[in-house]
Parts: sequence; structure tokens; C-alpha cells
Amino acid sequence: MNRIQTEVLVIGGGATGTGVAWDAALRGLKVVLVERRDLTHGTSGRYHGLLHSGGRYAVKDSHGAAECIAENQILRVTHAHCIEDTSGFFVVLPEDEGEYPDKFKAGCEAVGIPCVEIPVAEALRREPLLNPRISRVFEVPDGSSDSFLAAHATAQAARNAGAQILTYHEVTSLIMVGGESDRRVAGAVVHNVVTGEDTEIHADMTVNAAGAWTGKLAAMAGIEITIMPSKGTMVAMNHRLVNTVVNRCKSPSDGDIIVPSHTVCVIGTTSINVPEPEPLRIEPWEVKKMLEEGDKMVPGFAQARVLRAWAGVRPLFQDTYTSGKGRDVTRKLALLDHKEREGVAGFLTITGGKWTTFRLMAEATVDDICRHLGTERPCTTATTPVPGAEQGHYWVGHRLHEIEEKHLQSELVCECELVTRTMIENAARRNPLLTLDDLRRDVRLGKGPCQGGFCTYRATGILHEMKKAGSWEVNMSDDASSAAKWEVAYLQSPGHNLVSDADSHEDNGRAANTADSFNPNLLLRDFLQERWKGVTPILWGRQLKQERLDELIYMSLMNVDHLPDKELSSPVTEFYLFDTTPTAEEVADV
Amino acid sequence: MHTKSWHSVGPSLDECIKCNICTSYCPVAAVTDLFPGPKYVGPQAQRFRENGQPQTPDHSVDYCSGCRVCNEVCPTGVKIAELNARARAQIVSEKGIPLRNRLLGRNEMLGKLGHIVPGLANFGLHNSFSRVMAEKVMGIARQAPLPHWSTDGSFGDWFKKTQAQRLKSDKKVVYYHGCATMYYEPFIGKATVAVFEHNGYEVLVPPQNCCGLPMLSNGEFGAAADYHQNNINKLLVYAQAGLDIVGTSTSCTLTLKEEAPELLDMDSDNAKAITNATWDIFEWLRERHELGELKTDFRQMNMVLPYHAPCQYRAHRVGKPAMDIMALIPGIDIRESHARCCGIAGTYGYKKEKYQIAMDVGAELFDFVADQGGDVEMTACDSETCRWQLEHGTDLPSRHPVEILAAAYGLYDLEKRQLL
Amino acid sequence: MSDLLVIGAGLSGLMAAYTAVKAGMRVTIAAKGLGSMHWGAGTIDVLGYTATQPELPVKRPLEQIQSLIQQNPQHPYALLTNEHIAQTLATFVALSKDIGVPYGGATNPGDNVLLPSPAGAARPTYLAPKAQLAGDLSRSEPMLIVGFEGMRDFYPELIAENLTHLGYPARAAFLPLKLITNRRDSNTVQLAQGLDNKEQRALLAAALRKIVRPGERIGLPAILGMDAHITFLAELERETNSPVFEIPTLPPSVPGVRLYKAFRGHLQSLGVRLTAGLEVISTQTTAPNGVPGAVQWVESATSARPLKLRADKFLLATGGILGGGFNSDVNGRVWETIFNLPLTIPQERADWFNPGFLNPQGHPVFKGGVKVNASFQPIGANDQPLYANLWAAGNLLAHSDGIQERSVEGTAVATGVAAAQALSG
Repeated sequence: MNRIQTEVLVIGGGATGTGVAWDAALRGLKVVLVERRDLTHGTSGRYHGLLHSGGRYAVKDSHGAAECIAENQILRVTHAHCIEDTSGFFVVLPEDEGEYPDKFKAGCEAVGIPCVEIPVAEALRREPLLNPRISRVFEVPDGSSDSFLAAHATAQAARNAGAQILTYHEVTSLIMVGGESDRRVAGAVVHNVVTGEDTEIHADMTVNAAGAWTGKLAAMAGIEITIMPSKGTMVAMNHRLVNTVVNRCKSPSDGDIIVPSHTVCVIGTTSINVPEPEPLRIEPWEVKKMLEEGDKMVPGFAQARVLRAWAGVRPLFQDTYTSGKGRDVTRKLALLDHKEREGVAGFLTITGGKWTTFRLMAEATVDDICRHLGTERPCTTATTPVPGAEQGHYWVGHRLHEIEEKHLQSELVCECELVTRTMIENAARRNPLLTLDDLRRDVRLGKGPCQGGFCTYRATGILHEMKKAGSWEVNMSDDASSAAKWEVAYLQSPGHNLVSDADSHEDNGRAANTADSFNPNLLLRDFLQERWKGVTPILWGRQLKQERLDELIYMSLMNVDHLPDKELSSPVTEFYLFDTTPTAEEVADV
Repeated sequence: MHTKSWHSVGPSLDECIKCNICTSYCPVAAVTDLFPGPKYVGPQAQRFRENGQPQTPDHSVDYCSGCRVCNEVCPTGVKIAELNARARAQIVSEKGIPLRNRLLGRNEMLGKLGHIVPGLANFGLHNSFSRVMAEKVMGIARQAPLPHWSTDGSFGDWFKKTQAQRLKSDKKVVYYHGCATMYYEPFIGKATVAVFEHNGYEVLVPPQNCCGLPMLSNGEFGAAADYHQNNINKLLVYAQAGLDIVGTSTSCTLTLKEEAPELLDMDSDNAKAITNATWDIFEWLRERHELGELKTDFRQMNMVLPYHAPCQYRAHRVGKPAMDIMALIPGIDIRESHARCCGIAGTYGYKKEKYQIAMDVGAELFDFVADQGGDVEMTACDSETCRWQLEHGTDLPSRHPVEILAAAYGLYDLEKRQLL
Repeated sequence: MSDLLVIGAGLSGLMAAYTAVKAGMRVTIAAKGLGSMHWGAGTIDVLGYTATQPELPVKRPLEQIQSLIQQNPQHPYALLTNEHIAQTLATFVALSKDIGVPYGGATNPGDNVLLPSPAGAARPTYLAPKAQLAGDLSRSEPMLIVGFEGMRDFYPELIAENLTHLGYPARAAFLPLKLITNRRDSNTVQLAQGLDNKEQRALLAAALRKIVRPGERIGLPAILGMDAHITFLAELERETNSPVFEIPTLPPSVPGVRLYKAFRGHLQSLGVRLTAGLEVISTQTTAPNGVPGAVQWVESATSARPLKLRADKFLLATGGILGGGFNSDVNGRVWETIFNLPLTIPQERADWFNPGFLNPQGHPVFKGGVKVNASFQPIGANDQPLYANLWAAGNLLAHSDGIQERSVEGTAVATGVAAAQALSG
């Protein structure tokens, strides 16, 4: 068994985990992060992308609201390119009139959230599709974030500071030492789900940042943590019906936020307690509810084309389990020191919170780590931009602009989302990549209207060509020296660093530990199924027609259902195969 | 880009299933790299556009000629050409409009100016020195087929002068002549009046102005809206009286019917009244024929006539009514062109950077005409700029089908372009 | 005034128009846009797989249809005898020769032929363009699959590796894309049009001659010329001294565009008026009250008032969900878009899908459609025709999933011809 010695082991590759790794590495600690799938496979990759101003919590949770606005201002600098400065409206619909709007304004003022009431006409001029019957509009500094890119950028910043990031490494057990009175977590045994290799990682401090899986991980140390997984379903529309975040100005509930995100807009969410973080079924009433609620804010919303639906899990922490609804449980961060709580040393759990406050959560965690390690090192993440932040805020036209300026039309592989061959090649070389779904998270492959109809085949063909030419190996390992060459900052840029021959040779030397696991047919089938999984809850009308074209392409034309290697599966095949199709009872409930 | 009328054109981008049929049939993308194709600049790019971005993301949409082959072949109903027109207007609103496009957009003003001293104006515009200068200074291609001002007075002058001889009847029709007939080709108006009167209709020619299309296609939406509103004001009373407003320029009638109201969000009842009253002349004649009201006392016309239906018929979506009616004329051998576009696309082919593209697009049509053999003496097309381009590309005269019809009625000399 | 208005310009509509005009009718075709033929492989798939044996390609489709019908007695093929289906396919083959895009089939008449798919699978089809036939996987010559560097719609390594894996020896090679185009970006149709050019053709032939080994046959993406492809194919075979075949690509389908254009031109020369861009938005019918009603006219959208399209008889060939003949909504409603004909599709979304994208049993939502009688007239609950002058043909017909069965074009040809025979008889 391989063995790694480190000071800090972070378990979980979401926003929080990458944040902890980044913070710890910046403070000069030796850090290893492990993630069982790709970065942001969990909740961080399945949320609506809202950068909270804090307005949503201004009335009921002023502490949370204050945290949000402070972090909002920090992330706009440290993660500038992961954020679109959309601004946000809180709109008062006729049915929402009452005391709430004034309480909202006062709540914002109390914690320092810039909040300006603007004339309705002004709001309608900026967002012509908004419901003209709204009576009041408050503008707050909400934004839209790219949580995939942010996790990559944070992880890259961590690497640059010496951290090691291991994806597709699943914790099989925690290394427990000591007796009844001095139990301690001394690291973890991790299983590389691609190669099957196991590694012992010994650490002075182990951080549980496993999100929805927090409880399961803690149980490995014999610790009981009650995490109440609360499912939130989100629906993405084919194009941006609004360019500003639009919130209902009322007590938070289902389907009251529309977030413009890249080329789409996302409406969310529901809030349903679920027993397990995975798999999640999307129920028909949830989709219908989102569309109906969207239609109240933007009339016509329910008739617009729906691209996809997905669900994420809020890892809500509660010291004692209650049957309360998800939204009533606090969204505050929870840092659990298991030495103090259960007498298990070397082990911290960081949970709760929300994407907007991930940096703060990391700071609190690493402060505690330092305390345990007996060292005093100040946190610098609040003033240290991650790679790429120098590009400034994201804007939706940037890919189109770059394609036009550099004449990259012939490079387009995913035409819907303007993903070029170069982007795919760079991501494949620089980033551990097991499935096309990883590429989707990296560069937005297959996220547009045709949902992989054209690009699944193209991307498969390109990766296969790279493989054949020896210019790329499936590389699941990660080391700081080669990682530095990976310019994550430009992952989203269609024309950056067009691959040269020299470049591809340079990469030939990289360790190839999984050469045999690459199979183009599996890649193709997995991604087709992954896309199908996300569209089945919303297949009707235009998207049903699109799906039929995709069927024509992959069955009638390509005959991929009769390609060889049908028996093969990847670590995520089963996950993709989970049936999201509504059952008869669920439809009857609508 | 979100304007109020996002609801009419915008949602059509949601219909796109990315199938690429439009790009396969686009005549412009077929001949130049400068235009990446209708799907790319249309429903695809539209998802990346928004007001107030740090930079205007794309410019290639300016190379869309607006021929609407994409709309015609799209199996799902995306209004691609309209999306493109909107995107162009967005660029114009952000970047401003070049003087050249402003000038080309003001066909009517040019018409009026030249009309004052047409001989001098024709010399001034058409001598090679000024064409070179126009190309250098303004970017108007020196070879492009610009029209000649009528040296025989305007259509308006003629109509006024001959008022006493005009037929009076209970059956009345309003004639929308457009700028080209008014200042450059009054003979088309004369032939039209003759055809109307032959069928027993009294012709009314109320005050009217340019339909605004040249401005729409150059992205000057504000100015176009003023023009359209003026036309509504001037023509509404006729529409409300139940009279048909019939035009001989397929582009003008299209603008009155649909282009202006749709692109400019002019969806008032008055605008709708104009839409519903407006007809293209052959659409109107075909309706008369279907109702059994069209005179068919045609004389034998022994001629081979290559006919090109202009792109605007695609947008009218009324089939090819001029074909339907000309086919009634005994002896005429109409050869229907299936060429996608003549290339000129309104003012597109006048522009220096687009002249060659327009000629390359038109090659399909010019070759078709050449293939019809030596018996061909002229071609026919309903749209004025297309006829000028056809003449430029084939060296054969080109006629409006209404001239053919007037000749078949024995009222018009096709060669001299005058009433008999 | 037409004798027949065909609504839809897919393969079934064109075959019906052709049959009717040959029978002496005056025919008009109105279509919302172009479609089906531009997407597929350009082959005529009659029956490729059955639900009972989803792994095994059908060997002799016309014979297999009989057992298909036993399983599924209401399948559109059940409306026709085997001989009749064979006749309609023969009509298509003869027509394809007349219009310059000749089709053929397996060496052994009546067999399906297995051809390489763009993913390197073996796809069963009944008739294929001549340009694809040398790809017949029952032939023994090893294949050289040639692609063009940077061409986004063709991956020779993937094709060659999968074919080899399936037992059909193949290797891959690349030529520079610059060899065949100087365009910055080109879709397959534009590449094909570029290869109508003689010099470009000569360059490609010379380059292929250098890389092909004796005894090999050469597979290329289906871009070998648009109007001149038959000449070009012969040239290439002569110059390389090897059999040459095309492999279809992602949409737009060059083989489909060739067929569509040649077919359209032929119909126009026969006097058929074909207008695309006409979307039928309303109909005028007499009310069917127990007895069949009649369609008086249909109306299409124009830039102003609706345009009346009149005819004695009407044939609906608008396709199903993909063709645009049906639409559907969030509540599980699926409807036929023009006449609101009754559909056999379940009106509950819960019943629309089986699990998995590539489910070998397909998805029920794609299997339903318009029920017709033996004369291809849409029928109501009492099995009586709804309108005395309305017929339907093609992939909108109920009880088959053409994409799953690989029967899209076979259904179109057979029912298109047969419906037109029924209405003109």
C-alpha cells in the first residue's frame, strides 16, 4: 500500500474542502485533499449558482446575512472571474405585499447590505420580461457564480501553495489510533476508484468536509453527527430570461429565485428532507412547481424551453434531529471539534453553511487546525486572489467574443456552449478526467440545448484520437510540479493556449497509471446516459423533440447501442443509470 | 438582447434543435468565411448576447443578407433572419452606424434629391470617377448596380398629370408604389395602374413615404419606426374603409405587413389594420383569380422567360403568386429559377466589403439564366434591387411580372417600358 | 387548385407526391421546413432490429416483417403485403436511378447489408446509396478509414478500432483538411460542395493513392461531392485502384441532401409545386358526426392574413415528434398539430419512458401515432375514417418506433407510395 504523510488531510472536493486546502496551504501547512469523484461532484456542483448578498436571510437570520455580505465582497475580489456581477432584485408581487418588504429593507440596512429601492419602471426597463404587476423592487448586490470553476481555481491556488489534490479517491476507512481515553483520527485509507490502488494517508489533522456525506464519514470514527439532507431541485431554462438575479421579496420558500447563469437561467429550489444524499429522484410536482413559480416572476416562463432538471442536497446540520422542514434549520456554518465533543482528537468536521460562505468556513476550520497544531498563522485567503481573478468578472458574451476575434468557428466541438477542441484538449491534459461528465464540469461540454446530441460523439472521437496519438493519458494522479503548468484560470477560454506540438510532447512524460481503463465506447455511453438522466424529468415539447433527434443520431445513424464493450462500466456508470423517470404514483400526485 | 418584443421573435430561439439544415442551405455561408452561418449567428449566438456587456460579442451577424433561406428550410420554426436583424440593431445601437449605411438606408431622400435634376444626378452618380470616390469615401462598391433616376418625371408627376384620364369606379384599390417606382422606375407604376384599371379598379395613390426597410436592414430601428408610423398615419383611413393596399415592391409590402411591426414592436391595432390590408400585387391578383374576378383576355406571348422569385416572397409565405398568374398567359414558357438568392439582398450588395459576396451568391442565378439558351431576351423578378442585380449579372434586361402582365393584356410595350 | 395537397416534405411526402403525379394528379406539397432526410444516414432502413432479439441485426427484413407483425399486428407494415412493400421499394430504387442518386442493396437480394456507422458499429440497412455500398461488411477486403485532421464530424481511429474489434479489419489514416477545403469552417454539406471542384478532387485522389495498400478498400466521410458525386466516386476508384465508400456523418447528412435535392428537382420537373416555409396553422373541415367529414382547406401562416391551401384530397405526412407532426406539453398531453387527430400515445408522462437512453425496448412515447385504416385514412374510435378526403403516411403512423426498429425510411417509402395509390385509385 502507498503511504503519504501530511499535516492536514481534507476529505471532500467541494467548495468547502477546496477552500480548506487552499487556506491551509497558504498558511504553510502540508495538505492533501481527497475526493471520491470529480471536484464538485456533490452539492457544490448541483446548486443554482447564487452569490448571496445576504438579502435572502436579512429578515430571519441577520447573522447569516452579515456573513453573506462580507463574503460576497471578498469573493468578488478573490474569485472575480468565477462571478458575474448580475446584481439582484427582490420584487414584491401583488400576493407578497404586507409587512415583509419593509422588514426586508430594515434587515438589509441593519447588517450593511446595500439595498436600494428602485422604481418599478426602472426595473422593467432593465428586465423587460419581469411581471409588470410588481409593486416594489429592491436592488441588492446578488451575483451569479460558477461553482465548478471556483472549485477548480481554489484547488489550483491550493496546489500552487503546495497542496496535493486527489480526485476519484474514496475514503474506505479512517485510521484510528489510541485507546478509550485518547482516541485520535490519524488519517485515512483511500481507494483509487479508477486504478483500484489503496493509499494510507497519515495526517496530524483530518478534516471532514464531505458535505452531504459528512455523517457517513464521521460514523467511520464512531461519531454520530446528525446531518439532515435536504434536497433542492433546480430547473435550467434554455436561455436567460433575466440577466439579473430575481428573488421574491417574501419569506424564503420553493421556487422563489431565478439566477442567470452562463447561457441559461436557473430557478430553484425545493426543500425536501431525504434519507440519503444519493441518488435523488426528481419528482414531477417539483418541476411543475418551479415553472409555476417562475411564471409568477416572469410571465411566459412556464412556456419557455426547459433544458434540464437536477437536485442537490443541503447538508443541514442540527445538533439534535427534529422533524423540521429544511428551510427552518439554520444555514449557519458548523465547525465541530470532535476532541471537545466526543474526545476524538485530530478530527474536525466543517458543515452547514452555503457556497457564498465557503471561504469563511475554511478560515474558521484552519484557525482551529492551527490551534490544535499549536501554531499561530494568520489567514490570508481574504486578500489573496486565486489564479484567473485578474481576468475580472465573467460576462456571458466572452466565449462568443473570443471565437469571433480569433476566428475559432472551425474549432467548435460543443456548438451550443461554444466549447472548442483546444478547451477539451487542455482540460483533458491538465485535469484528471475519467468521464465526459468531468469535461462538462470543466468546460460546459454538452450543457446547451442539444444536451450532448452532437458533442458527445465529437468529444469521444477527440479524446480517442489524443489517446491514440499518445498525446494524452488518463491521469488520475496529481502533483504540485506538473499542476502548476495547468492554467485553470483559462479553462473557460475558447482560444487560450492553442495546443502546440511541443506542448503535447511535454505531456507524454506524465505518469499514465490508468491507460487500460480508457474506453471510448464507455465514455460515449456514460455521457449519453448522464445527459438522459437530467432531461427525463423535463422531456416534453421542444426538449422531447431534441431528444428524439439525439436518438436518431445515436441509434439510427451511429448504432451505438450495438458497439462493443457493453459489459464495461466506470465508477460512475451506476450513478448515471439511476432512473429519474417519474413513476405513475408521482405523476398522479401532480 | 431583451427588448419588449422578445416574446415575438426571441422565444423562437427555443425551437432550435441544432440540426444545421439552415447552415447547409445558407447561400452566404456557402461563399464566404466572413459569415459563419445562420445557426451560429442566430439561435446559437443569441444565448450569449445581452445588453451592456463589456464588449459587443459578435460582428459576423452583419454579413447575414437577410435572404431568409434559413427561415424557409428550418424544420422547427426559428425566426433566424429576424433574430439576426435584431442582433444587428443591437450592434448599431452600441457602435453607431456608418455614414454609408445611413445613406443607403435613405433611399427615399436620395430619390427625391436626384429627382430634382435627374440627368445631372445620374451623371454625377454613375460616372466612373464618382463611383471610385464613393467607394473610397463611403464604401459603396464601384461596380454595384445602383439605379438611375427617371429622366421622364416621377410616377407621382405622371399620376397627377393623367388624373383626368384615370378610371373612376366603385371598385377601388390603394396603390403603394414605394420609392423605386416613384423615382427610378415610374413605368412599373404605369403598368400597374393599367392592370388595375383593365380589371375595373379605380386606383388611389394617397400620400405615402418610404416603408423603412432599408433602415431596418441596416439596423437603424429608431428611424425605421418613425417611417412606419408615418405610413400608418397616412394609410390607416383607407385600411379602415376596407380598401386593399397593394404594392409592387415585394420588400415594401413585406415591411408594411410584418417586418416593421414585428421588429419594431409596433403591435397597435392601427399597425395590425395596415398589416391586414396590405397585399403584394400578385398575391392580390391571384386572390382575384381564385374568386373568378381576374380578366384573362391575354394575348399570345411567345417567349422564354426565366423567372426568379425574390427572397421577400419567402418571408411573405404566400408561395409564388407571380408564377401562378403568369402561367395563365398563353405561349409563355416560364423557367422557374430555384436559385436561393440573387445576392443583392436590398442594399447588401452595394457595400464594398460585400459586393463580391453578393456576386458569388448570385452566380447560381446568373448561371441558371445562361443555361436557358439564346432565345432568352429578358428575365423577370418582382423586386427592384434584384432586377438591377440580375441585369448586372446577366447583361439581359429584367422586368417586373406586372410589366409582363400589362404586356399580355396588350397595354404595355415590354421593350420600351411604356404604356401603349 | 390541386387534386392533392401533401403536407410535409419528408421521404413519405415526396414518395406520395411522386406516386400521385405519376397517376395523373396535380400535386402540391406544402412543408413547414425541410427535415428527416437531412438528418439520417441517407439509407433506406426497412427493419434492422426487433424487440424480441434486440442484439441481433435482422438478416432478411421482408421475411422478418412477418414475425414482427405477429408480435405487433397493428404495425404500419401490417397494412401491406410483403409483395406490396417490395414493390414500393422497387419503385424507389428505379426512381433513385432516374434522378442520379442510385441506390442498391446486399449482394444476396433480400438481405440486409451491414455498413460501418460513424461510430464504427455495424449498422443494418436494406438499401443504401451506391456510394456507401462498398462498405458492405460481408466483403473481405480490409478497410482503410481515412479522415481529415481537425474535421469535427468524423473520427477514423474510433471507427477503425471498433470495426476491428467487431471482426472487420480496418485501420485509420489522416489527411490534412486543407487538402479538400480552404474554408475557415465547413459543415459537411459545404465540404461536399467543395469537392464538386475538379482540382480538389484530383488532389484527394492523389493523396489517397499514396496511402492505400493493395487489396484495401477506402472508407471516407460522406462528403465526396454534392452534384458530381457519382463521377467522383468512379474517379477515385479508378485513381486509387481500390473500392471506395462513404460513411455517413452527423447531421446535416450529405447523402440525404443529395437525395432530397434530386428528388425535389424531379418532382418539380413533373409539375409538382413544392413550397417550404408554409406552416399550416388551421383547417376548415366539415364536422364528423358519426359519418366521415371532409377537409375543405387548410390555412398556412403568412406575413399577414392566412393563406388558404385548397385541394380535393389531403395527405398528412408531417412525421411524429421529431418531424413536428406531434407536439406535447408538461401535462403529458400529446397532440397531432394540424387536424388534432387522435393519437395512440399515452397521455400520462409516467407512461412515456422506459429507463435508460439506449433501452432496447425503446420508449412508449415514440411508438404511438395516428391510427389509419387499410386505405391509410386516419380513423376515429369507431374505426371509421374521420375525413373522407384525408390520408396519412410515414412516421406519424401508430404502433412503430422507426428509430428503434431502424425502419424510418422503409416505413416512409412503403406507406407513402401505398397511401398515394389508395387515394389516387
